[in-house]
Amino acid sequence: MRGAALPALTWLPPQASTVAAEVDRVLYVVLGISAFFLLLVTVLGAIFVWRYRERRQPQPGAAPSGNLPLEIAWTVVPLLLVVWIFWVGFEVFVDMATPPRDAYEILVTGQKWTWLFTYPNGYVDQNLHVPADRTVRLVMSSEDVIHSFFVPDFRVKQDVIPGRYTKLWFVAPQPGEHQVFCAEYCGTSHSDMLAKVVVHRPEDFDAWLREASDFLNRMGPAEAGALLFRTRGCAQCHSVDGTPGTGPSLAGIFGHAQRLADGTTVVADEDYLRESLLEPTAKVVAGYEPVMPTYRGRLNDREITALVEYLKTLGGSR
Amino acid sequence: MSGPAGVVRPAEVARPQRHYLNETPGLRAWLFTLDHKRIGVLYLVSLVVSFALGGVFAILLRTELWTPGPTIMSADAYNQAFTLHGAIMIFLFIIPGIPAALGNFALPLMIGARDVAFPRLNLASWWLYVLGASLAVGAIVLGGVDTGWTFYTPYSISTGTQVVLITLGAFILGFSSIFTGLNFLVTVHKLRAPGMGFFDLPLFVWALYATGLIQILATPVLGITLLLLIAERTLGIGIFDPALGGDPVLFQHFFWFYSHPAVYIMILPAMGVESELISTFSRKHIFGYKFVAFSSVAIALFGFLVWGHHMFVAGQSALASTIFSALTFSVGIPSAIKVFNWLATMYRGSIRLRTPMLYGLSFLFLFTIGGLTGLFLGALAADVHLHDTYFVVAHFHYTMMGGVVMAFLGGLHYWWPKMFGRMYDERMGRGAWLLLFLGFNLTFFTQFILGSLGMPRRYYNYLEVFRPYHRASTVGAYLMAAAFVWIAFYLLQALWRGREAPANPWGAGSFEWQTSSPPPVDNFRDLPEVRDPYDLTAWVYDDAAGGYVRREART
Amino acid sequence: MTTPRGRTALAAQAEALGHVVPFRCLLGVLGTLLLLTWVTVGATHLDLGVWNLWLALGIAALKSSLVALYFMHLRWDSRLNAIFFVGAVLFVVLFLGLALMDSVHYRPERLPGYVPGLPQMAEARA
Repeated sequence: MRGAALPALTWLPPQASTVAAEVDRVLYVVLGISAFFLLLVTVLGAIFVWRYRERRQPQPGAAPSGNLPLEIAWTVVPLLLVVWIFWVGFEVFVDMATPPRDAYEILVTGQKWTWLFTYPNGYVDQNLHVPADRTVRLVMSSEDVIHSFFVPDFRVKQDVIPGRYTKLWFVAPQPGEHQVFCAEYCGTSHSDMLAKVVVHRPEDFDAWLREASDFLNRMGPAEAGALLFRTRGCAQCHSVDGTPGTGPSLAGIFGHAQRLADGTTVVADEDYLRESLLEPTAKVVAGYEPVMPTYRGRLNDREITALVEYLKTLGGSR
Repeated sequence: MSGPAGVVRPAEVARPQRHYLNETPGLRAWLFTLDHKRIGVLYLVSLVVSFALGGVFAILLRTELWTPGPTIMSADAYNQAFTLHGAIMIFLFIIPGIPAALGNFALPLMIGARDVAFPRLNLASWWLYVLGASLAVGAIVLGGVDTGWTFYTPYSISTGTQVVLITLGAFILGFSSIFTGLNFLVTVHKLRAPGMGFFDLPLFVWALYATGLIQILATPVLGITLLLLIAERTLGIGIFDPALGGDPVLFQHFFWFYSHPAVYIMILPAMGVESELISTFSRKHIFGYKFVAFSSVAIALFGFLVWGHHMFVAGQSALASTIFSALTFSVGIPSAIKVFNWLATMYRGSIRLRTPMLYGLSFLFLFTIGGLTGLFLGALAADVHLHDTYFVVAHFHYTMMGGVVMAFLGGLHYWWPKMFGRMYDERMGRGAWLLLFLGFNLTFFTQFILGSLGMPRRYYNYLEVFRPYHRASTVGAYLMAAAFVWIAFYLLQALWRGREAPANPWGAGSFEWQTSSPPPVDNFRDLPEVRDPYDLTAWVYDDAAGGYVRREART
Repeated sequence: MTTPRGRTALAAQAEALGHVVPFRCLLGVLGTLLLLTWVTVGATHLDLGVWNLWLALGIAALKSSLVALYFMHLRWDSRLNAIFFVGAVLFVVLFLGLALMDSVHYRPERLPGYVPGLPQMAEARA
């Protein structure tokens, strides 16, 4: 796996969001305090080990075994410092937790093991495209287990939870491309649950969205159907390689007879496939629960045609 | 009858013909012993086996990460390997770790008791450990577990692996831990030598006492949580799984209410060992005894208030995150107090760089790094970036391995002559320590850099830019493995070939050094007089004894 | 010279076990517990809204205190044990209090009727 988004050998990733510099300020404050105390402990320890080593000092010198002012000093000074650290961390966190009004909202769906980004016009993409210099708000939920949306260049991270939505916002000032990771362990391909954030110039973003949403015209029907299959939740339950899931596998389905739950048999032609999308519980394949929701109103006629065309191309044994 | 009260002559503590190791021979006598010292040894052996098993998984993980993508195993095998590495190291090694092995052996000796308060409960604790460990190993044999040691829902409910078996194992191990904690609390309250007050106790005993408090207050919650998880998996009761109407974030609250205090179950005994090591090998009275003692209790209590810092980006409300962040920093203060008191103890001492002290010094350095990097993770905004990255992995390995394992090894080398009556090869001890120290820093310091660059944890595959750091980390892990094999070699060699140990090889002042090495079955022929355990000026080296004797007893 | 030994653990234990609570007292506590059980059942017939729960919990707390104080002899035991007992209860309160406080705060973000494997939010928006 190769990625160009993260430059090697810089201590922190580039600051590609407005909040990144703020977070880095917190990191540097804590780093400064930590470095001071580590140095203090290490240097004092080293001096003591050297000066009071057995050969140089065979018998211990006279020294008190306690000192109240000293104890108070090394209680109070660290206390003040941690209160400061808490405060700087808190300030920036509050900022991160309260999105500005009038944000561009994108829905994020986490599922094993891809990210889906749904735009206001209903278009779904597997990468996150955003306009530069505009507040973007992500409303996120998961379809299976907990995932976590993490963009190191933006210094943002938020768990994505099933049965619940969580939110995250950012402003990316410059056009560019950034890595998205899943940061909460979610199973086999957790480490491949990647995506890109593509930041467009503000004037180019609408054109991009228009063109991307126009995939039915741009692509052949089977190709467009494949995209819909991946982005509209079909792949969640139906495999294309023969493994049964929540629903039957769709490998080599077209033209083959299906045994239904009521004992009858039906040949999977175009009409059957179309009906199964609009009235999924009408003819349920034997051995499966009637749990599929209807796609009536969620897919238009051209999209259904594209999906059926895609299903026709699926070969393989069942 | 012996001489005046409290005077221990070298002759009296000379190596006895009969001692706890050879008094009643046979496997049966060992497996059903009620002697706290033998139970300590049984625990030591079992812990070392568990540590080796967890270590094998660690080496497999680091080898897999030599290249991005597949190196020696599949993604599923990798996920199982990191789960088992974590679960074994935490539940089977580091939580029982110092209290069950070193504490069981040393605590009754240190307070002048013949045994712990409930010897049968103590044996039951070990047997429960064996049962829990067997279930965990059973889970590995029957197909493994791939949830991570944290068992987060709903993943742990939907995965097809042996979650029930391993959580049942952890549940039983919890009882083993509760038994040990309870036993120590009662022992410290009820069985101290006549005239020994709480402020005459060695600081290791204070640390074990504070640990016992956490063990009995926190562990039941782990038991409840794991039982609920099992009920949800097997009976379909909706508690944590949103598909059944449950709440997955609630699981994290339940889990961390135990598992955060559990890190203090791990580190507090290590801090206790550290106090003994620093004082003994600096030949100085511990600095600020009461501050060190009370800071243990403070850590134990504050440790209960901070669990939510594992959940800043987990969907916890901003209010709860703020409260938990503020409370989290409270734990830093008693830890800082301890570090400064240890440093002050070394001031103007006569520092002997024996193997246990080398571990003591490395604890001081590595735990300081581990503690300070905790400040990054406690600060809300910084944690958003660093959470669930290798920075966290590095942080807890610096505290758990750089802290607890270093202290465990320090304590093991410190009490080894007392436990087995033999000295190990000092030069090999120092050599292996150096290798371990270098290997450790190579392995885990690179992970701080990886994490701040954004490398998430529990990743089988990684971006090309991370490769050099992963390589360095893997090389470090191999160095550490070599060091552990070396340590095992010379410690075992010492049992057969080591020089006979004197009663007090290091010149420490607590009770366990005032009986023979190894001690007799009932610990003391005559109970020593209660004195300040850190008044080391009273102990002088005696060539005839080959160790330290009380000044007035010197002939 | 042998060092003088203090009370052994066994002696201390025997002393603690030696305490006997008068039979009439135990009977009285038993009667009170039965009475309170009856009160608990009776209280379910009243409609107090949310207070039903608190009333039931309050009675249960009173009953468990009676058991701890009399049947478990805590009333006559050393003060330290009582401190430990109350301390343990405080930790339960702390645990449930903070966890539930958070749970109440994020409850509005929960999606009703979640079914795994379905695009929940797209549904909600459509």
